[in-house]
Amino acid sequence: MAMLLRDLLRHSTEFRIGAVLVAFVLLLSVLASFSPYAPESVYVVPPDLPPSLVYWFGTTSRGQDVFWQLSFAIRNTLMFGCTVALVSRLIALVVGLVSGYKGGWIDRALMSVNDSFIVIPLLPILVLFYFMMRDRISWLMLALIMACFGWAYDARLIRSVVMSLKAREFTQTGLFSGMSTWEVLTEEHLPYVMPVVFSTTMNNMVWSIGLEVTLAVLGFTDINTPTIGGMIYWANQHTAMVAGIWWWIAFPTVTVIMAFIGLFLLAVSANAYIDPRSRLWGIGGAS
Amino acid sequence: MHANTEQPLPRQEQPILRVRDLHAQYRTSPFGVGRGVKAVDGVSFAVRRGEVYGLAGESSSGKTTLIKSIAGAIRPPLEIVGGSVEFAFLPGYGGLQRAPRADVARIRWRNLSYIMQGSMSVLNPVRRVGSAFVDFAYPHIGGSRKQFERQVIAHLERVRLDASVLAAFPHELSGGMRQRATLALATICRPDFIIADEPTTALDVVVQKEVLGMMRGIQRETGSSVLFVTHDMGVHAHVTDRLAIMYAGRLVEEAATARIFRKPLHPYTRHLISSLPRIGDDAPREGLGGSPPNLADPPSGCRFHPRCPLATEICRREVPAMLEADDGHRVACFAVDQGGRA
Repeated sequence: MAMLLRDLLRHSTEFRIGAVLVAFVLLLSVLASFSPYAPESVYVVPPDLPPSLVYWFGTTSRGQDVFWQLSFAIRNTLMFGCTVALVSRLIALVVGLVSGYKGGWIDRALMSVNDSFIVIPLLPILVLFYFMMRDRISWLMLALIMACFGWAYDARLIRSVVMSLKAREFTQTGLFSGMSTWEVLTEEHLPYVMPVVFSTTMNNMVWSIGLEVTLAVLGFTDINTPTIGGMIYWANQHTAMVAGIWWWIAFPTVTVIMAFIGLFLLAVSANAYIDPRSRLWGIGGAS
Repeated sequence: MHANTEQPLPRQEQPILRVRDLHAQYRTSPFGVGRGVKAVDGVSFAVRRGEVYGLAGESSSGKTTLIKSIAGAIRPPLEIVGGSVEFAFLPGYGGLQRAPRADVARIRWRNLSYIMQGSMSVLNPVRRVGSAFVDFAYPHIGGSRKQFERQVIAHLERVRLDASVLAAFPHELSGGMRQRATLALATICRPDFIIADEPTTALDVVVQKEVLGMMRGIQRETGSSVLFVTHDMGVHAHVTDRLAIMYAGRLVEEAATARIFRKPLHPYTRHLISSLPRIGDDAPREGLGGSPPNLADPPSGCRFHPRCPLATEICRREVPAMLEADDGHRVACFAVDQGGRA
């Protein structure tokens, strides 16, 4: 793994740029632990100050330091993305592996659930959840709901890979030597689908963060927990753009775009690494 | 070369595998119409201890179905509809498919191993070769991992592979090395019985000869019996002790390999042998008209009769029994019974 990262850093420009962007965003989120202010407290600094040497990213109309507020926000947003990605990857792996390997009625049952999730329109459902639960909706709950909606495409992808692995000799030999279904899936098939899972993880994070920001900007989340979308929501509430407090909106937007581009570039370069043909292009060979 | 001629113990005289009147078919029901493809239809034979028993036949003659049935690797739509498969090390069940799962798991790999068709891909492309040994063979050997590793390395030497292949991925090995690693994997537990389904078909003849030689060496050393399946008559001549010829789901002839090549009796075998090229002989080979029958709707009587130059009325009506024509030479043909010659 370390060698793989070193090779990617050395030979892939996309990976280098992506790694720098993601590292910057991660650094910012780590700084949240050293914030002098609590994330919820307001009017701790003079309001509406533009960026300066004292307040790097300026201050908000609610008397918060944008820099520290932003570090809390990006930390929560990233944790949200990671939670959604992790939980939905688990569901996708279990469903994909079992469905592809077992086939028959298990496959049909799982895939009919899977396909239902694919066709469900997500945004209206999430808004519906918000209106049903109102104040009880928490950060974690929203992450779990999104995870439940974010696995279906990737489960199908994993299923298709496993269906082809199932017919290969190493699976047959494993079964013949007395390996159980669980052993075949975890020992033989899981290593094969892991690269697929890695690259979909980053796409999934981009997707879930984007959706969370959308919901938060509209005010359909727990607005007291600082997130990127939550910051933009409060800025809009205080008509920041009209009042000329542009830094309140600009810095969160730039940060989340950096996170998006960084994750996207990492996913693209990881995909290129996984696909042997694009590795050939990389060294100037024909496809 | 039979082990039982050297050691006349009563145990050794019993066959290690006895197949009796085995019927297996693929049952499909597209659009509600049931259809059975009788891929194995009444096959009986026995394999002795320490012998390499060859099974020859063209594609779609039921070879793979037969060995799947023997190995107990039966999943729908394949089903066994009659007959029995009896292993000496698993007595009393009449075949693996009827034995309890625990017993089957116990004998697999330890007593019975299987080199699959297309065995070039027996190794998982994303895992190191060593982990295949751990996954497939370690549960059957047990002991400490260190000890197991030493045993694997010692065994790899028999197929002239270095211990370093254990740390390699399959794509880092050449075809011949991969094949030898597969052979080592199948024989590491010193099984009593090895089923080899076209193990060397993907290799060129030079590597093939080398691998077959190693296989023969290991087999002699461990005293295993081998059921060797291939359509390549040259390989059969090189490796097997006895040879059975399969046609359209049935055995048509069985004898010592040298005998089949020297004195084939069944008209199909005779055409098969006479079609083999010989060095210095440039006479044109005569082909056999027609093509193998559709097993979903096989011809009545002897399945070879539409293509047989000696076919008579009885061949169309009745199925010829597998009768002993000579010492250990069995053949299923009415023409041979009546002393007919092509």
